[in-house]
Amino acid sequence: MRSKSAPWVLMAPFLLLFLFTMVLPIIIAIVQSFLTVQRTGLVGEDGAVSRFAGLENYLAALTNQNFTDSILRMLAFGVVQVTVMIVASTILALLLESASARWPGLFRAAYFLPYGIPGVIATILWSFLYVPGLSPIVDALGWVGIDVDFLGPNMVLWSIANIVTWTYTGYNMLIIIAQLKAIPGDIYEAAKIDGAGPLRVVTSIQLPLIRPALMLTIIFSIIGTLQLFAEPQVLSSMSSGINSEYTPNLSAYAYAFQYNDLGMASAEAVIIALAAFILSAAALGISNRLGRKS
Amino acid sequence: MRPLVPRRTALAGGAAALAAGLAACAPTGAGKVNAEAVIPPSDGPVTLTYWAWLKDLQKVADKFNASQDRITVNATWIPGGNAGGYAKILSAVAAGGGPDIAQVELRSVPEFALAGALTDLSRYGLADDEKAFDPGAFAQIKVGDSLWAVPQDTGPGAMFFNKDVFEGDLGLTPPKTWDEFRTVAEEVSKAGKTIMTLDPGDGSVLPMWAMQKGSVWFEPQDDTWVLNMADDPTMEMADFWDGIFADKLVSTGYGAFSTPWYAAAGKGDVLSYVGGSWGDALIETVPGGKGKWAVADMPRWDDGYASGGLGGSSAAVLSTSEHPAEALEFLRWMCTDPDGIDAMIKNSGIGWSPAADYIGKTREKASDFFSGQNYNVDVIEPMAKGQNLDWTWAPLMQRIIDRLGDGMLDVVGGGSTFTKMLPQAQDDIAEIMRKIGLKVEIAK
Amino acid sequence: MSTSTQTQGSSAHSTGGAGTPGATSKRTKPGKAARESRTAGTKPTTTIIVTAILVIVALYFLVPVYWVIVNATKSTEDLFGTNGFWLGNSFQLFSNLGDVLTANGGAFPRWALNSLLYSGVGAVFACYFAVAAGYALAKFEFPGRNAIFAFVLGGVLVPGTATALPLFLVFSKIGLTNTYWSVLIPSLLSPFGLFLARIYASAAIPDEVLEAARMDGASEMRIFHTIVLRQLVPAIVTILLFQFVAIWNNYFLPLVMLADEKLYPITLGLNNWRAQTDRLPEFYQLTVGGALLSVIPLAILIIVLQRFWRGGLTEGSVKG
Repeated sequence: MRSKSAPWVLMAPFLLLFLFTMVLPIIIAIVQSFLTVQRTGLVGEDGAVSRFAGLENYLAALTNQNFTDSILRMLAFGVVQVTVMIVASTILALLLESASARWPGLFRAAYFLPYGIPGVIATILWSFLYVPGLSPIVDALGWVGIDVDFLGPNMVLWSIANIVTWTYTGYNMLIIIAQLKAIPGDIYEAAKIDGAGPLRVVTSIQLPLIRPALMLTIIFSIIGTLQLFAEPQVLSSMSSGINSEYTPNLSAYAYAFQYNDLGMASAEAVIIALAAFILSAAALGISNRLGRKS
Repeated sequence: MRPLVPRRTALAGGAAALAAGLAACAPTGAGKVNAEAVIPPSDGPVTLTYWAWLKDLQKVADKFNASQDRITVNATWIPGGNAGGYAKILSAVAAGGGPDIAQVELRSVPEFALAGALTDLSRYGLADDEKAFDPGAFAQIKVGDSLWAVPQDTGPGAMFFNKDVFEGDLGLTPPKTWDEFRTVAEEVSKAGKTIMTLDPGDGSVLPMWAMQKGSVWFEPQDDTWVLNMADDPTMEMADFWDGIFADKLVSTGYGAFSTPWYAAAGKGDVLSYVGGSWGDALIETVPGGKGKWAVADMPRWDDGYASGGLGGSSAAVLSTSEHPAEALEFLRWMCTDPDGIDAMIKNSGIGWSPAADYIGKTREKASDFFSGQNYNVDVIEPMAKGQNLDWTWAPLMQRIIDRLGDGMLDVVGGGSTFTKMLPQAQDDIAEIMRKIGLKVEIAK
Repeated sequence: MSTSTQTQGSSAHSTGGAGTPGATSKRTKPGKAARESRTAGTKPTTTIIVTAILVIVALYFLVPVYWVIVNATKSTEDLFGTNGFWLGNSFQLFSNLGDVLTANGGAFPRWALNSLLYSGVGAVFACYFAVAAGYALAKFEFPGRNAIFAFVLGGVLVPGTATALPLFLVFSKIGLTNTYWSVLIPSLLSPFGLFLARIYASAAIPDEVLEAARMDGASEMRIFHTIVLRQLVPAIVTILLFQFVAIWNNYFLPLVMLADEKLYPITLGLNNWRAQTDRLPEFYQLTVGGALLSVIPLAILIIVLQRFWRGGLTEGSVKG
């Protein structure tokens, strides 16, 4: 008797919040994405009405070159940055978990520290190291004859990639370390008896067994990449290379709050969410297929 | 089309029912405030809030607060318009809160009106004050008969140049016409220097050039916007700049007042800046520039106007303000009273004065930095008086500027020319304006 | 979700304590065992090379923090005029930090308290709600159980920024924007926490214990608050930390919701200062000092609590 209502009572606060802050906004975004506001008068002083717009907003979003460019930019960013970060996290995790590492706890803490620094503040910190005149790095490179402009139109994407990598490598490394720690010791024993060297242990035991953790980090990184906002937004005032639609999220934000086009902003938000879904599902699918093959 | 109508109406009806609930809270909802009754002045004391990115604005407000005992103005600093300030203002208005007054760039005023964020001040008697304002400033807050804000400063275009190098080393004189500008630019280029630099992603110089040439890109006719972005004056101007860009006579690596610009200007490699008068304060920070720089008229065309405008802001009374009459009273003081103007110049370092006959006390004197020249009186004032008063800013100016900036990047990258890009941009902009229901025509 | 118990066994157990019969207990501290088994035969040169690599990488991670510590001691003039990697001519760390704490009428301490409020309150309640729901999903049979779980799982994949804009519309409709609630309410939801709690609960809480308590006549709520919460302490700590950092780091939500500077968390406030450096160079020093003050406490927290992160993080990996 009691246990029939009990789970619902226990779940009630969570579900209410879920409906209110997750489901409802998504529904509203979808509805808005099919609407457009029509104004009359020179500046809408004679009134404004919403009308059903069909797929107009989606078409406009997908033919908006700035928006499609921003998606392509994020794909390029994701392919490079996520790969670099995951490879770095894996190597660091393997090194820290190898018998050769001294003071693993100390290094682990140092690498993980940036995760506790909000993206905005991380960007402010790094911007000090990017801005010519402030940055000792730019100065030092200048002395040896290298003129870099970290905030120049061609460099700034990778300067952002550096900030993201700096922030999340340690976090991803910890996920992988946890997975490495879960590998039972007897597997290593068996490998040792078979005469497997350290490299062979890595490739045939550790890497296959941490695949789930790698998948998780890749999926979260993909979602993170699509959400990129704070770093380019903070840097935009310092770099002429960042326009108001530099990332998909900046574009949606610009349409909502600068261009006053909520329909378009909603359509873009829906496209971003769908893309995150599809990419995550694809990552899972690829992982499962690879897993079955091996 | 006819058989479709009922279905469309039904669809629209269904959507409208949903929309009624949802869009009512949208920041885009037009402010009904301008259709409702005028809010009478309050009897008791009134406190006004004012959001702006002007520095030390509170000190200006304090001066007003001390001058009378009914109205208290509290100023809050917000980030510059596109750096987040506009989003903040619009979201606060959408939430029904927000300040009474906010800083809005002149070109963004119609856009804020479109968002329903502004109170039409013609209903509070601003029209009676027209004579107190500089006509070039007042023209920019007007759309049709509505007056959407109070101009706070403007940026009449002028040419700031490194006299020391320009006249002394190279033996050149500041160009009076754009043709001369080209000749001079070639000479400067031969000397291994650059006459000026442009930020390739910043489209806001194009309207300045076009309005000086005599074009009116966005012309309100009854309830229709007529676009003239490819008219003869504009095309002539575009052709000129195509030539300049093709021969690489200006540098497009970085914009004026960026860190590398200061370095180059300090070394005497970048010799001039053609832009808003507010550039004076920034040029005064060029390292080692004291006594070397001077100011000249903006180069001009045989036809058209003496100058164009770049930048400048307004103080707008937001549609959520409960005290528009008091807000206007304060703004009238701040933007036309000599005390207000002087306070804004001293504390906030504003651009050109919006008042009719007062340029500011400190600006009537010769400047040590600018070679002892009394440049405000001798140069800027005539430039301010020689503006294209027919120019009107369109709604969606932010998108238009961004679109022009994208186009300019194309031109700089060699993928297009101004003569090709501007008609295309015009088509895109017409499309964007139509999409939100505005009536738009492209002039032939 | 059949893989779930398998992957989380070690961590749930090593911290789970004694009272979890039936869970996978045969692999006690496998990490340590593995480590010991491989220690033998390591060459000293390898150790030196590996450690050298680790040191260089550590420098990369610490450079921005080092820069901010060094430069928080400088005057604005030295900030631009002296080498960024070494101390300037004047040492004015304490007066700089004093300025940070008193500028704008004590805005910085207020932002810090706001951040603490959003993150602290948000994390505690989000954790409580997530654990309650996760436990219900793990330990009760009822129709719609799997559907709800799948639905919530989908929620993990929706970018937070995609919901923030429409949520702003909802909140502005009911007058909640630009209030503490507008940032707090969305922070109370942690789908990831539910996910974690469900896995932990199904592994660490034996049905027999629940049955015994029910036989004794304890109400379901009482069982949850006395027995279940205690069993789930490791999961709770992890969810708390996760949610705390997630809210602390959030920028988009407060940016969209808040207009009043008094309600800002540290992220927004500090960026507000940074934005002013364009025109007012004195804000550089405030921003540097503010960055230092906001980095140090959290860095200490992260390092001290580091061991707790290990436990929970693997749980996510079940999705693989």
